[in-house]
Amino acid sequence: MPPKVDQQKCDGCKGEKEALCEAICPGDLMYMKGDVPRADCRSPRDCWDCMSCVKVCPQGAIETRLPYQLGYYPAKLIPLMGSKRVSWTCISQDDKVERFNYKNRND
Amino acid sequence: MTKGKILVVGGGIAGLTAAEKLARACLEVVLAEKSSALGGRVARLHRYYPRLCPPRCGLEVLTGSIQSFSNVEIHLLSEVVEVKKTAPGLHTVTIFKQPDEELTLDVNGLIIATGADLYDASLIKEYGYGQLPGVITAMELESIFRPDGPTGGLPVHPATGGPLRRVAFIQCAGSRNKNHLPYCSGYCCTVTLKQVQYLHQSLKDIQAWIFYQDIRTPGSKEEYYRQVREEYRPVLIRGLPSGIDYRADTGDLTVRCVDTLSDKEVRGNFDLVVLATGMAPPDLPDFYRIERDSFGFPAGHLPCDPSELRRSGIWAAGCVQSPMDAEDSVKSALAAVAQCLVKLQQQPALYPRLDPRKCDRCGRCVKECPYGACILGSDGYPLVDPGDCRSCGICQGGCPLLCLNLPGQGGKRIEEVVDRVLSQENPTPPILLFLCGNDAYPAWKKLTDLIEDNSLQGIIPLVVPCIGAVNAAWINEALIGGLDGVMLAGCPDDQCHHSAGPPLTATRMENLKETLARMRLEPQRVQITAISMDDSLKLSGELQRFKKTLEKLGPNPFR
Repeated sequence: MPPKVDQQKCDGCKGEKEALCEAICPGDLMYMKGDVPRADCRSPRDCWDCMSCVKVCPQGAIETRLPYQLGYYPAKLIPLMGSKRVSWTCISQDDKVERFNYKNRND
Repeated sequence: MTKGKILVVGGGIAGLTAAEKLARACLEVVLAEKSSALGGRVARLHRYYPRLCPPRCGLEVLTGSIQSFSNVEIHLLSEVVEVKKTAPGLHTVTIFKQPDEELTLDVNGLIIATGADLYDASLIKEYGYGQLPGVITAMELESIFRPDGPTGGLPVHPATGGPLRRVAFIQCAGSRNKNHLPYCSGYCCTVTLKQVQYLHQSLKDIQAWIFYQDIRTPGSKEEYYRQVREEYRPVLIRGLPSGIDYRADTGDLTVRCVDTLSDKEVRGNFDLVVLATGMAPPDLPDFYRIERDSFGFPAGHLPCDPSELRRSGIWAAGCVQSPMDAEDSVKSALAAVAQCLVKLQQQPALYPRLDPRKCDRCGRCVKECPYGACILGSDGYPLVDPGDCRSCGICQGGCPLLCLNLPGQGGKRIEEVVDRVLSQENPTPPILLFLCGNDAYPAWKKLTDLIEDNSLQGIIPLVVPCIGAVNAAWINEALIGGLDGVMLAGCPDDQCHHSAGPPLTATRMENLKETLARMRLEPQRVQITAISMDDSLKLSGELQRFKKTLEKLGPNPFR
């Protein structure tokens, strides 16, 4: 399901030519919309839920809705990127919270 | 020997002083002046205070000296139309020279000495400037004595040509007034004293009245005030005149004013009314990208570094910086020259290094650098000029991919702390405390000297050059790694040495807290506090409170 952008938190990568979410999206789905550029998904149905944009957004402005095969509303999957660790928080539809924590860089 | 090319914009007293000193210091100097002659407003003055010497004298020495140097290029009728930073430490400037020439030059720095306009006296409706004959500004009174002035150099009435006997001076005309200029320009009181003095010296039978709110003559000018008051005995009325009436048959101007000392209405008839107007904020083009203060003047760092603008390689001199007289303009020009020479010869500071393998050229560092020291090179990667960088680390705090780091100040330290905490068997609830090196760290240092018990145990202090240098990913790393809480101790908003640190941090943390709340991780685990140098006890209180909050919240679910 498509990424949802928090318009208050998104800062359009401060007016840069290509914002980080635009650059990273493997499907080229993200683009900047409006006079004050803010991120948006141009074709929600084509999103593969890779969550790259969620992880790369420096403002933490993007959230992805889980597809129903994985979890009904209000289930959530939220990544948080550290400098060499990444964590995943899974919140199930009946509000069970599970957390996973991985090292993703060794240097 | 210093090598470098400096552009001085404006050929008034400040610009000329700066250009002359820089030329003396063997730099290449380009002087661009908008009008057709050098000298600016000073060239139109009759006398300087306090010695009543002619300004021409100093100006001629300066212009003569400048023209004798081969390393000075002077462009008259020339205006700067574009300034762009094209390489580290290099500004590319476009100058339009009348009638139709365009010059482009690369310079190592700019001194802006474009001055400021006097406040438009016709906006003060009650004094009828521009409508009543005989109401003039202090600057126009100066021109009465000039051979090319309206009276041909004779000290007579500029409109009628009649003799001058009674002259009124209205101080703070359009100044210290929220409908006009909210501030005091500082020089107008002394200007009026000077004009009273030279009117008395050139005309025998003259009476001067001064309507004032406060006579502001700081420092040694107080002595000048005493001297003029005792020698020429002007009538001093404390009050702001409410209006001026004009009688066409006699040509008299009647000034109405309530004397606030006796609480009585005073009326006086005059041949001439002089409005002592202040200086309006300068009209600074956007391409300089200079931050302004609340009055519209370029903001320096007060009081420690007043001439240092938050734009590396650009300095302001003279009235463009704040309203000032000739003496202060010269001082500010010398300060700008000193800063300029330091910049060209200084030891390179600690500056961030880029890991180009990770950088995705998003340009956030360029946008967030408070000094404009970081620019995008021709290949799109950021370039930092070691000479411009002031080592605040705000770029590393904002970098989404953690590829820009100040040597020794980067994220490695946090990873080490997290690894250390994770390797312990039963760690005490650890708190990571980021301390701004300028203010919060000295406060923390004092606190550790004061406190002898173990109340600070479990707190891991990390010093950063500015609180804006803390990257949100570091905080994520600490929280994922199992630390209980992270506290950021920066400066109070208005005290940050780099101005941008605390507001940027506040935005970053607000965003992070919202994400944490969605993750069902208590946002209270991240806290910002403003600590100035003397706030050791406040820091201690904040830490104890934070510890209690964390105890209530329990251990970090990621541990």
